[in-house]
Amino acid sequence: MTIILETRSLSYSYGDGTKALKDVSISLEAGKKVALVGPNGAGKSTLMLMFNGILRPREGEVLFRGRSMSYDAASLRSIRRAVGMVFQNSDDQLFAPTVYQDVAFGPTNLGYAAEKVKRYAGFALQYVGLLGYERRPPHHLSGGEKKRVAIAGILAMEPEVIILDEPTSNLDPASSEEIMEMLDELNLGGKTLIISTHDVDLAYRWADEVILMKDGGVVRRGTGQEVFGDAELIRDARLKLPLVVDLYQELAGRSIVRGAKPPRNILELCDLLQPKAETRAGVWGKIYICNVDEIDGEEIRAMLDKIPVDFKGAMGTSAKVMAEKCGISIDFTYGVIDKCILKALIGKSSIIMTSGGMVEHTLQRIKDYGLESGTKIEAIGLLQ
Amino acid sequence: MHNLLDDYAISNALRETSARLKLFLGLWAILLSVSSTTPIAPLFLAITMSLITVMLAKIPGRIYSRLLLVPLSFALLSAGVVAFMHGSGQTLFSLQLFGLNLAIREEGANLAVLLIARTFGGMCSLYFIALTTPMIEIFAVLKTLHIPQSVIELSMMIYRYIFVFLDQAAMIHSAQMMRLGDAGTKNSLNSFAMLCSVLFLRSWEQGERLIVAMDSRCYDGKLDLMEPAKGAKPLAILAVAAYLAAATAIAVLTRGVILL
Ligand SMILES: Nc1ncnc2c1ncn2[C@@H]1O[C@H](COP(=O)(O)OP(=O)(O)OP(=O)(O)O)[C@@H](O)[C@H]1O
Ligand SMILES: [Mg+2]
Repeated sequence: MTIILETRSLSYSYGDGTKALKDVSISLEAGKKVALVGPNGAGKSTLMLMFNGILRPREGEVLFRGRSMSYDAASLRSIRRAVGMVFQNSDDQLFAPTVYQDVAFGPTNLGYAAEKVKRYAGFALQYVGLLGYERRPPHHLSGGEKKRVAIAGILAMEPEVIILDEPTSNLDPASSEEIMEMLDELNLGGKTLIISTHDVDLAYRWADEVILMKDGGVVRRGTGQEVFGDAELIRDARLKLPLVVDLYQELAGRSIVRGAKPPRNILELCDLLQPKAETRAGVWGKIYICNVDEIDGEEIRAMLDKIPVDFKGAMGTSAKVMAEKCGISIDFTYGVIDKCILKALIGKSSIIMTSGGMVEHTLQRIKDYGLESGTKIEAIGLLQ
Repeated sequence: MHNLLDDYAISNALRETSARLKLFLGLWAILLSVSSTTPIAPLFLAITMSLITVMLAKIPGRIYSRLLLVPLSFALLSAGVVAFMHGSGQTLFSLQLFGLNLAIREEGANLAVLLIARTFGGMCSLYFIALTTPMIEIFAVLKTLHIPQSVIELSMMIYRYIFVFLDQAAMIHSAQMMRLGDAGTKNSLNSFAMLCSVLFLRSWEQGERLIVAMDSRCYDGKLDLMEPAKGAKPLAILAVAAYLAAATAIAVLTRGVILL
């Protein structure tokens, strides 16, 4: 457990005297997914701008990997390389005339050779699923695509920490789920992620740690269940309870469910409502997992013909691109593992298409679910 | 919200052709048109350039003809004036107006036709460049021509933010319309003044945000991340050379021809 970013009694006021941060002391662990929540004007954006040295604290200090941040040009360069920031408004961030030029901006300024710049930019664009968009100008992109380009521009610099200010504002539900899933994938790859959001459902389900801010200070931090378990606190902070928690509390009040902690997601809520004894053992569906890196479109289609599945899910950018390319209609594009487990519990089988590193994660997640709930769902890795 | 020439240029069918070649073709054609002494070569260029733009680059004909209407109206107006002003040779047409004798003579008529032909040849060639070569590719060509780096970088950013501000201006404008900001001349003027001042402030702010955005990606004075300008295919070069040779030959051979 290493602390990657830390603030010590940080205070900041803007030029006009607005006190935006008051005595903020927090520490963030490497490899975690952190969500900053709080009402408008709570100081979330201000705090984020501190993390990569864009704002300089009036009092207190910011530490990166245990070292106090200094604000000379060379140190700022190394900080900004390690801590990438995606702004809320993509138009603020995308200033180059083409997508490629924008993504290549960071690597070029890090002094990479032309060939290396090209490789990094290409990789980043592929990661966000925008290969083939290189020569498009940003004003010809949709909001979701702009956000992806902005993220690619940061990825190309290989930061350890990525900060995203309201990454899903202005996006439609599917795009925002896709962006969040992409962030999950990045997190699996070892990156620390910090987002700010007003979407409590998203913060609750996605974050390992939730930091609740109000009036420039940190009011509460902990897991989603800890922070959002306190209805009064949440109301005071002008937020609302995540739907799952709200429903759980109403059900608990009617003694319909019992449990020490509110469920994290729909899957857990369903398990609470329908105790294991009641489900008919043995008639669960299976979950097949297919690695799209290892096979081509033809083989996938042949496989889909052979295996009887009721639902198909695609997880990660490359799987979605692949599915679209060979015309496979997908039922689930986000929250795929949970959806497939839910379907397995009602006896339906499904297949999850995903890529490389995610296969392990998927198998592990299904196994963990089995251990936790006592319901062993069969997960079958194909072609492994 | 707005459809600029550049938007068509980005999706035109000749996008993959070398920008240098297209620029060369367009510029040569413009020079030929405006330097020709007879209307024949410019008319030839106007017709062929239009065909190339509509058939090869697949720019919708409706839009193209609408674009041409603008210079057409100007050309017709000024040609009318020119026709009446220059006088020598036979009178072709005359009328009495309030005791004034207005007449079109041979020289005037010839000049008017030449004016229209030149305008058209030039405009069609210019539209060919504007509709087939997006700005971003022109930047790449500028770079190979050794234009100073800072000039190119500045123009690239200006280009990018033109669209941001166009959107903003359009948004402010509709916000004003929604609250009847255009009711009456006084209101309209007032709204327009407000739009200008707000846009100015926003561009100032945007400039500051731009610096932050660049700094947070380790800006180090480098923006030279241009894809190299694509080389032209031999076949394309040959076709362009043949076409320009034909056009130049027409211009030279018809040098002395007088229409009327
Ligand atoms: N550039 C600025 N100049 C002056 N005051 C500012 C500036 N930016 C923010 N503030 C003030 O600082 C306080 C914190 O703002 P901040 O943007 O950090 O809040 P936030 O939590 O990100 O809010 P939101 O959820 O609306 O984005 C607010 O009171 C705001 O008015
Ligand atoms: Mg904010």
